[in-house]
Amino acid sequence: MARGSNNRSRLLLIILLVTALFFITLDLRGVSLTKGSRSVTQSTLAPVQRTVSDIFSPVGRFFSNVKNFGKTKAELDQVEIANAQLKSALTLDQNAKGELAQLKGVLDLAGRGSYKVVAARVIGRGSAASFSQTITLDKGSSSGIRADMSVISANGLVGLVKTVTSSTSIVQLISDPNFKVGVRIARSQSIGILQGQGTNTYSLQLLDPAGTILVGDSLLTNGSDNNHPFVPGVPVGQVTWVDHTTSTLTQSGDVKSYANLNDLGVVSVILSAPSAAPSTPLVPTPQPTVTVYITAPPAPVATGIAVPGAPSASPAAKLLPTPTPTRTK
Amino acid sequence: MSIPRTFVTLGFFFVLFIVQESVVSLIHFPIAGFSLYLAIAIALIALEDNNGAIVMGFLGGIVLDLSPTSNAPFGQWALILTIVGYIVAANKESIADFTLSPLTFVLFVAFGVSVALLAYLAFGTLLGEGNGSFRRDIVIVCANAVWTIIFTPIFLPALRHFRRASLTSRER
Repeated sequence: MARGSNNRSRLLLIILLVTALFFITLDLRGVSLTKGSRSVTQSTLAPVQRTVSDIFSPVGRFFSNVKNFGKTKAELDQVEIANAQLKSALTLDQNAKGELAQLKGVLDLAGRGSYKVVAARVIGRGSAASFSQTITLDKGSSSGIRADMSVISANGLVGLVKTVTSSTSIVQLISDPNFKVGVRIARSQSIGILQGQGTNTYSLQLLDPAGTILVGDSLLTNGSDNNHPFVPGVPVGQVTWVDHTTSTLTQSGDVKSYANLNDLGVVSVILSAPSAAPSTPLVPTPQPTVTVYITAPPAPVATGIAVPGAPSASPAAKLLPTPTPTRTK
Repeated sequence: MSIPRTFVTLGFFFVLFIVQESVVSLIHFPIAGFSLYLAIAIALIALEDNNGAIVMGFLGGIVLDLSPTSNAPFGQWALILTIVGYIVAANKESIADFTLSPLTFVLFVAFGVSVALLAYLAFGTLLGEGNGSFRRDIVIVCANAVWTIIFTPIFLPALRHFRRASLTSRER
């Protein structure tokens, strides 16, 4: 009797395993039935996710806020110090504004404002049952979104639209292990491939054997033909580590994203980029050579008799314009 | 496993799937995410007999394969959970009597979740899927096990009630 039951179990096991393998084969051969079932599920889930997102967003962020509490406080202290330094630097050096404008031109950050975008809310994140890194947006093809469009946040590239229904779209995040994007280093214009690793750090592999990567280098998207899937000039991240081993022909390193993928609330999908934007901005721009001459400030000259309580320098000396560093090109 | 109960279970799995995709996946758990779906599916499988565990594993896997965010081919989770269902059903009686030891049951469910995730990773690697760094994958599996240990005692009584209610008079 027990043997009969075991045989039945094994037969059932074999039938179901064969069925599962049949589904896998169909999917790998590109039969639309299996893909269609996922599309239907996405359409069914979208209204629920949208409603639940409105209610549960504060709950969802609770854990991450608690986890990042200490880190946030330390970051806040650092930001306050940096802010004070920046304020004093800005007061002292008026030329910084001009340099900043030039830098913005080089990095092509201004081009970001020329993109035609549609803003979308994040209503879901990749299921913990799969190892892929995705988010679900509340806008779909009815808003003009199509597959293979770049998605950005306020700080830079977030990912790429993977699948679209009429009212939702699923975005493959830049951290997904299957995500790859062509990037260029803003400093040297060297191009490379950035790949997600499933963590907050991404790997960068240069394509140019003569190119070098430095810690702190900013990376921008290199762009694709007709601006699809990637538009050029979108900030991607910053190099945090460089592999100095000589075992590979080209340099590689680790990159930290500008965009905080753990706290995405609203993102923008780039529908189109200005036609004037270069698809392969590899032409090196000539950089002006800057020579700085610094003249030491004159020492105060004591005049008259020193009176207790009186200022040590004469008022006339204070009214004199302080010598500023002379800059010549 | 009777046909009406199969449909009830399928419906239950679908509701659970919506909860997982809409609510649980929005929560940023420390370390790594938690799959409530897998935890409940493995717990249900562990409560079944041989045939029931295999069918439940298959049904649970099919519903999980519907996930639009998944990169894996349709049917991969069905394959994995069917095998896990068989392994769980074949070995549970040799480990302990779960009705007498809830702690063992919780640990067994956590172990089952870990095995399912590792099998999913291994099968995905065979099919050429990119699953990221090995270290990160291990962290995800371990985090899932930890969260399963923490949350399973909370939903286990309700799960037992649901199972008892879904049994037909003949199955009782």
